[in-house]
Amino acid sequence: MIPGNRDIRDGILFSLPFMVVFALFMVYPLVFGFYISFFRWNILGTPAFLGLQNYADLFRDEKFWSSLWHTVQFVLMTTPVLLVMGFLMALLVTGKSPLKGLMETVFFVPYIFSMTVVATLWAWIMQKDFGILNHIIRMLGGEGVSWLTSESNAMWSISIATYWWTAGFNMVLFTAGIKQISKEVFESATVDGANALQKVLHITIPLVKPTTILCLILQVIASFNVFGQVYVMTGGGPAGSTRVLIQYIYETGFSYFRMGYSAAMSYILFAIIMAISVIQYAVLGRRND
Amino acid sequence: MRRKLIAIIAMLAAGMMLFASGPQEAPAAGDGPIELKFWSLFTGGDGEFFDAMIEEFNSSQDEIHMTNDMVKFDDYYTKLTTALAAGTAPDVIVLHQARLINYVPSGVLLPLDGYVSEEMLADFQAAPLEACRMDGSLYAIPFDVHPIVMYTNRALLEAAGITELPKTAEEYSAAAKAVKEATGQWGSLIDNTTGTYKAYTLTRLFVSLVNQQGGSMLTDDLSAAAFNNEYGYNALVWLQALVNDGVNPNELDYDAAMNMFKLGEGAFYFNGVWATGTLEQTEGLDFVASPLPAFMGESAAWTDSHTFAIPVQKNQDPVKVEAAISFIDWMTGHAYLWAKAGNIPTRNSVLEGEEFHALPYRADYAAAVSSVVANPPTAAWGEIYETLSDLLEAAVTKDADPQAALDGMESTVNEIISRY
Repeated sequence: MIPGNRDIRDGILFSLPFMVVFALFMVYPLVFGFYISFFRWNILGTPAFLGLQNYADLFRDEKFWSSLWHTVQFVLMTTPVLLVMGFLMALLVTGKSPLKGLMETVFFVPYIFSMTVVATLWAWIMQKDFGILNHIIRMLGGEGVSWLTSESNAMWSISIATYWWTAGFNMVLFTAGIKQISKEVFESATVDGANALQKVLHITIPLVKPTTILCLILQVIASFNVFGQVYVMTGGGPAGSTRVLIQYIYETGFSYFRMGYSAAMSYILFAIIMAISVIQYAVLGRRND
Repeated sequence: MRRKLIAIIAMLAAGMMLFASGPQEAPAAGDGPIELKFWSLFTGGDGEFFDAMIEEFNSSQDEIHMTNDMVKFDDYYTKLTTALAAGTAPDVIVLHQARLINYVPSGVLLPLDGYVSEEMLADFQAAPLEACRMDGSLYAIPFDVHPIVMYTNRALLEAAGITELPKTAEEYSAAAKAVKEATGQWGSLIDNTTGTYKAYTLTRLFVSLVNQQGGSMLTDDLSAAAFNNEYGYNALVWLQALVNDGVNPNELDYDAAMNMFKLGEGAFYFNGVWATGTLEQTEGLDFVASPLPAFMGESAAWTDSHTFAIPVQKNQDPVKVEAAISFIDWMTGHAYLWAKAGNIPTRNSVLEGEEFHALPYRADYAAAVSSVVANPPTAAWGEIYETLSDLLEAAVTKDADPQAALDGMESTVNEIISRY
């Protein structure tokens, strides 16, 4: 302890600016959202107390379950692919290729674009009648594909745009993980005659496991929170078949102004993400220690 | 480190310039024109016509200066509602008539009865004006009426040897088939899939067709769905048949339908009157706009209306309210400028004026305003309308069993109503 300093007083003083903002824009909305989830409220009027009615309604609401299912679909479609892509990209940029600097940039650049830009871009690329993708397919003699306007393709199309957009982030995490592995391990493996594939399978993959777990948890949370790409690319269509839970929460709250019901759904989603993260951490994290 | 420092200094400088330019925009109160703020939601083809009107209003007099902030349509009502809740709404706003019911009961809109002169009100068409009254008070002034109309590509019809516009559902289907066979182009371009927008055209046509047969969407007391009967069945089956018969593309979204009609790839197209101005600007497109035909009995067409309203402010300045009324008076009184976009004016003096009659098509479909279908006055209608668009999209694009689809639509609508 430095003479003249009082840790508690200074600590509070220095963290105050952050704490005020945090309390105003995180803690207060969180508590208020929970409070309002027991009411019927349209923002303009006086809230009417409903008790647990919103939560009870929610379990009988078909649209809630279908939206939740679409979110889960998106998580399942994107998480494994994004992890594998991120890892493969990281292998490429940590390898010996002379192009690795260029590749690193190419892989990461999409991530710096805003969601709206990426989603609008892909929505036009994948437009059924005038999009460049179908234009190319037709030039090659094929039939145009209904990328975003058919139920069987729409979620995959959104996922493809998401792969392109966010895989670079996982690449950065994996690159950091791979670079942490000490060179001696690889060198001795080379001396023992291991080939590149064996090195990846038996050294890189096991040793980046902490990074993999981190990526997995972050990716699942990110994918559960999907909204923007869907909203811009398909608007939840066709016929609501890609409406994800956050979109339903948004529509209920800000298009139909049923704030209480919207808040109740948010808390259920929060509970789901929390539960999944805890389980992942408990199951995957434990063996690592 | 040095680069960072330079960046920080540059950002600080940019920030200071922002602040420096702030106060210059707002002149001191007391002298100069009364400054009014307006939020508009016109971002489609009609946006440029609207901006031109505001500009003309500002240059036509020097007592009032109106500043227009354009808000993206998707976010407009979200932004407006939060601003109304916070008491920071602008001086004049635009609202769809169908949305009034979501705002009036909360007391956020100023009753206009004491502010608007009797002679100004007497100039308005009765139906759109009455639609802005609730519990005896006037809460908004109608700026336009915009029903759904039919657009026809004349060249394609001629090529198929059709000389008259279809008057019934059967004639429409037959004409669409004839065009398809004779020209290879689509007969009908009814968008049925969510893209930038939901499949609203399906809902608008469904509402129109149910009403044409004498039915209505909700019961009179607005407590339940009323379309699960032969009226709804006929309407849905007809919409499905156009796709099944191959005369209307499947999985067609709003933008694509509009583009294909512009490119002459389809004979008939349905949209609100707001599309007229945009279609007129399309070179080489020979089309005609006409009121929605009485496909299934009587004339009836889905419609909505843009209205002007004045939000209640914490400290309402009567001078600004007066100025806002003058603005509304000017805008509605010069609505022939707005009719260029395709919309139908609401004041008799405009409807009878030369400027309006000089515009093509408008006078024809303006006559059809008498048969427009009013939106059910319930706060649940917004959600019902959006949800029906999804359900109709599924029923039409996936060729669902019509009775099962109607049963599903009915129970969903009833459930929505129960939650309001």
